[in-house]
Amino acid sequence: MMMATAKQPKSILKKSSYPATSATSSKTKEERDREVALYHANLIQQRKEIELEILLSTETLIDYPLAGPPYDASNPSPADAKTFKELLRPFLPSNYDELIVERNINDRCGYTLCPNPRQKDGGGGRYRILGMNGKAKDFKVVEREELEKWCSPECARRTLYVRVQLSETAAWEREAGESAVNIDLLDEPKATEASITEDLQKLDLQTESTTSKKDAADLALERGDKAQAARNAIFDVKIQEKDISKPAQAPSLEDKDISDRLDTLHLTLEGHTSSFGSRREKRHKEALDGANVEDDHTDEDSEEDTDWQI
Amino acid sequence: MSTGDEDRVRKQREAGERESAKLWRAWRTVHEMVQDRGYELSEEEVKISFEDFKNKFTSDDGSVSRKTMTFSARPTDEMWKRYANPVTANDPNPASPDIGTIWVEFLAESSVGIKQMRAFAQFLTANNYHTGILITNTNITPAALKIIPAVASETRIECFTEADLLVNITHHELVPKHVLLSKVERTALLQRYRLKDTQLPRIQLGDPVARYLGLRRGQVVKIIRKSETAGRYASYRLCV
Repeated sequence: MMMATAKQPKSILKKSSYPATSATSSKTKEERDREVALYHANLIQQRKEIELEILLSTETLIDYPLAGPPYDASNPSPADAKTFKELLRPFLPSNYDELIVERNINDRCGYTLCPNPRQKDGGGGRYRILGMNGKAKDFKVVEREELEKWCSPECARRTLYVRVQLSETAAWEREAGESAVNIDLLDEPKATEASITEDLQKLDLQTESTTSKKDAADLALERGDKAQAARNAIFDVKIQEKDISKPAQAPSLEDKDISDRLDTLHLTLEGHTSSFGSRREKRHKEALDGANVEDDHTDEDSEEDTDWQI
Repeated sequence: MSTGDEDRVRKQREAGERESAKLWRAWRTVHEMVQDRGYELSEEEVKISFEDFKNKFTSDDGSVSRKTMTFSARPTDEMWKRYANPVTANDPNPASPDIGTIWVEFLAESSVGIKQMRAFAQFLTANNYHTGILITNTNITPAALKIIPAVASETRIECFTEADLLVNITHHELVPKHVLLSKVERTALLQRYRLKDTQLPRIQLGDPVARYLGLRRGQVVKIIRKSETAGRYASYRLCV
């Protein structure tokens, strides 16, 4: 009887060694529910914000390019090209298609940096035949609608060149690296004298602190600090290193008890010997020897995995 | 040769006539719709004959000009009552109902994009119209439809195509009568049957009749249908 009171019944469950579970259990159910609800509400809100941003960008880009005659589609103005690339970042390919349609409705070429009106073929019919004079592989039958989206085949190429670079994942689900992606144009702004001087001016303006700040921001984005999806994650993950009490020691064959381990040496994995099968018999014998022995035994290696014990 | 010319002229005239007839029917349906929602319109305005319609809206080139096809209407007293927020102990001075003058416009452009929709929204806000109905010839681009929720805080925009309005669907014999319940009636109904509103059957916001009546989320309609056994049978649906 005394034995029974002294010794608590041993749980067969593993010890809870996760600090996270104890932290969450201290919160009430309402608090946890509230947290989950808030998390999902934030996600939806974020998504709505990005969608609105895309809509407003589309609206802005309908009227592009802003720069006048010296610039055209093959040589866009640097400022326009820059804003175009920046506004295009959250776009999906489908959003880009919508932009093309919207530009067409306003009688502009589908390529955002092209100032020309779109081509309008007067005649009727749904299809057009292309490449009648060239080689056989150039021969194509295309829908008139497709053809009328742009002012020229070059602009069509420029548009699609940008389109294939857009990410297929929605902006609110992107990883940090993806949202920082750079978009190249088929015809980048050519470095005319004007733009070179502009660049020089910029160089002067950019002091060291601003450039370093920008670099740091880019780096943080790349590292994943501000990933759209992870910005308000539901779990606060903390990595906790295990405390090291003594200096690490490499296993050696010159242990004095190597003769003891010889029979289990083939089971050793990276210095660790699984103790499941080998000590079983020993324990069984000890258990038979008496309660006293068992008591000592359980105390001394309570760290062992004892799931199998009855 | 003269017979060929005559033929072409005749065909053109017929096509023009068909177009006018379509617009006339859409015009009548939209008037009926606005009247059924409870706005103030006279019988002559609603039941305009084809001849009168052509006289009123035909432009110089013989076709009906959509640009002139616009009208506005104010809510009737009855409608104010139906949308009114009930006076309760908690809320002795309830907010005024969320309705106001309606503006209906037929859009002439062949395609409707963000620009056109933005212009319409700006027109509504500038003239203090509470609701706007835009009737278009073609489908509206998806991007333009996104403008509607973006300006929802300022003005309420509804879109129909002319094809939607060729016939008044509520006059069809298989469409039962839908009656919008006021907030007082709604609470009475829920108390009578001891329900939460989510326990009612539902009707979608995009349901053709819901669109016709301009229902809003959370409103309840009473649907009265004929029944062989009971004569009339009323059911209630919550708009979601």
